[in-house]
Amino acid sequence: MWFPPLPVVIPLIVAASLVAIGAYLPRRVLDLVACATAASVFAICCHLVAASADQPIVYWFGGWRPEHRFALGICFVIDQAGAGLAALVSLLVLAAFLFSWQYFESVKSLYHALMLVFLAGMCGMCLTGDLFNLFVWFELMSASGVALCGYKSEEFGPLQGALNFAILNTLGAYLSLTGVAIVYASVGALNFAQASASLAAHDPGGWLVPIAFLFVISGFLVKAAAFPFHFWLADAHAVAPTPVCILFSGVMVELGLYAAARVYWSVFAIPLAAHSSVTGALFLTIGTLTVIVGGIECFSQRHLKRLLAFSTISHTGVMFLGVGLLSADGLGGTAIYLLGHGLVKGGLFICAGILLHRFRSVDEFELHGKGRELPWTGLLLLLGALGLAGMPPFATFFGEGQLADSARRHGLGWVSGVMMLSGILTSAAVLRIGGRIFLGWGLRRPFDSDEAPAIPMESETHGGHRNTPGTMWLPALALIAGAMAVALAPSVRIAALRAAHRMEDTRGVTDHVLLGTPMAAVPEVHIAPALGELWKPAVNVACAALLALAALFPRALGRARRAVVHAIERAIHPLRAMHTGRVGDYVAWFILGVGVYGAMLVFGYRR
Amino acid sequence: MRHPGRMGIFFTGAAAVAALYALSAIRLPGPEDVRGEYMRIINGECVTFRHVTDAVTAVNFDFRGFDTLGEEFILFVSVMGTLVLLRQTDAKPGAWAPDALSPGRAVGASDALRVWILAMTGPTVLFGIYTVIHGQLTPGGGFQGGVILATAPLLLYLAESFDVFRRITSHRYLEIVEAVGAGAYGVIGLLALFRGREFMANIFHLGKGGNDINLFSGGTIPVINAAVGIEVTAGFVLLLYAFLQEMLERKEAGS
Repeated sequence: MWFPPLPVVIPLIVAASLVAIGAYLPRRVLDLVACATAASVFAICCHLVAASADQPIVYWFGGWRPEHRFALGICFVIDQAGAGLAALVSLLVLAAFLFSWQYFESVKSLYHALMLVFLAGMCGMCLTGDLFNLFVWFELMSASGVALCGYKSEEFGPLQGALNFAILNTLGAYLSLTGVAIVYASVGALNFAQASASLAAHDPGGWLVPIAFLFVISGFLVKAAAFPFHFWLADAHAVAPTPVCILFSGVMVELGLYAAARVYWSVFAIPLAAHSSVTGALFLTIGTLTVIVGGIECFSQRHLKRLLAFSTISHTGVMFLGVGLLSADGLGGTAIYLLGHGLVKGGLFICAGILLHRFRSVDEFELHGKGRELPWTGLLLLLGALGLAGMPPFATFFGEGQLADSARRHGLGWVSGVMMLSGILTSAAVLRIGGRIFLGWGLRRPFDSDEAPAIPMESETHGGHRNTPGTMWLPALALIAGAMAVALAPSVRIAALRAAHRMEDTRGVTDHVLLGTPMAAVPEVHIAPALGELWKPAVNVACAALLALAALFPRALGRARRAVVHAIERAIHPLRAMHTGRVGDYVAWFILGVGVYGAMLVFGYRR
Repeated sequence: MRHPGRMGIFFTGAAAVAALYALSAIRLPGPEDVRGEYMRIINGECVTFRHVTDAVTAVNFDFRGFDTLGEEFILFVSVMGTLVLLRQTDAKPGAWAPDALSPGRAVGASDALRVWILAMTGPTVLFGIYTVIHGQLTPGGGFQGGVILATAPLLLYLAESFDVFRRITSHRYLEIVEAVGAGAYGVIGLLALFRGREFMANIFHLGKGGNDINLFSGGTIPVINAAVGIEVTAGFVLLLYAFLQEMLERKEAGS
């Protein structure tokens, strides 16, 4: 069995080689090596998806197999959910490398090396079956992410964004590590399967398990930009180089969510089984708040990258809602949605990068009407907006349909309303900014506003280029087309549901890992009927278009204008006031958030 | 946000988190009741099956060696990230740099101190190497010894000048050495695959017979340990180099 360690090991070794000899290689060789590495990791991950269709692959590093259900070493437990996510990760890394082919004028081997280490960390997170190992790859991802975020650190802005990123994520990681330590001190195990079995067999009592769970996932919640841990994300996205943003928004944030869900289903689901309604309520609360806050903030941005960052926050909220259903079909819907969102968001960030490449700005008002020269980029942006709104044939449509179906069957119909809100607000924001940039609609200057916090975008690219190279628009086209095509075949949706069933079968996985017992066959899965849901994207897009038009042409609102604008501003103001850019404030909100969510668990579990 | 508001939010949250921690900690097993199965098994296995006496090193580089690969690369990218983030040009002029800091001059140590430091540099290097290569036998190893080794050039900087420090810690080579140290870990792990074993399997000669424990016993453990020592030494010297360079530039910008 050759393949399981390679998605992590190959990028690490290539990264080290690039640091060693990269200074002596021409730029194009660096690009080629990096692209080839990402492509081969993608191929290996696809192979792993196929190979784990029947049974999850359990790979014991160093050959330290468990004896008497006791794990001495570390294992990868590769199921289709993890391997599929790793495939998405490597695909987006490949797109990012292609995009940066012509994008950065001056970039050294350090960039390629950091991106490859980033890739290795993310793949490790997807595949691991060990609590501490998960933490290690999580940290590796964070450390390389911070460095990439501040890559243009000749300016003050990137440094600030990177520092906020580093501080918030390090704090979250401390809490995660505390949680891991509590689990280890309590049962003496780090392996997912062994910890789960031991916690279930010897319940430590009290609130130890729920609190350990909350601590472990806190770091992942920071990464997933859950409310109120999300503040760093927009700052980081606004300053990070565009190819890095593709990965931050497309997969890194989602990996935080994945890690939280993975840890829940692999370790805590059985010990917390009696209280699953409380755990579900926690995720649903987080999801709802995140959807609303992210959506409103998204609509109130004028900086395209920040806008897309907030849209990611809102969509992560949708995925939290899916996880919060705590059911296999909910999880499967989340997986489909995640796939669609990652591809769409990657494509949208490339569009933003094309604008930066051509005009050296991503500011809505600065670019007013300038996008007329770029009709195809405008079309991609429009398609992306439709993808965010959950329009068929985008995978987000099928994912949302699956989630809504699952929510209805759990008696949580309101969840699909919240999900629609996310689609409406985020696609309205993209439609509005697109209308202003690519059609020249609306005002040239912000309405009723005298502040102009234009964020200078220097040095990433010289801007003012005459044309858009194929290495830029092709990846964007491929990602958006991929988002449309990927879930069209029912077999993909069925595979996602089956993968979710496998991920949720905690007992089956535990025995498979510790004893080698084959897992029971996945029960027949039913994909939600998609056609009955067609009214939803129609409503989403109609509302989004209306909202975008109202924002573009506020005069058309006539006399009601002042009242409407005031009402909106009053709603938005407290949210924007929270977003101060000062890391001390973010830390305060983080601690308060952990405290409040912890109180929810403690009081909920007593009942 | 105004200061009192932030403090209020922070301390409310911190009190809640502290309460949560206390609630979970009181349920942990007491001191007589440690969940130590792993400890007992490792202590039994590392001497018999791995020919090493430092169980910590055995866990780090063998039983859970895959974790340490990740940790080594965390150090690797942290160093690179620091170098990236320190490249800022709008450095504020000499707000902090100590007075005696300038490229060509000694820091201002007295002759007695300089003699003492110069005398200690050799033993420091020796002690660092000792700590690295005895990693699998006594407490220590590549991480610890590497940090000790990295302090030796710093001693020279204190006694002599930044120029001396720069001469013996040329930047370009250091990056290469660091990368080789980090990459070697992955390559040693990969070698096992060619032998048909799992990644990170200990495929080198462990030692002759029952209790043969020496500097070379332990198979891949001393080799990986040495690679880590090289990587950590180079990484920390790079960091010191970057920070000193940064301070000097600020000093120059200020004067």
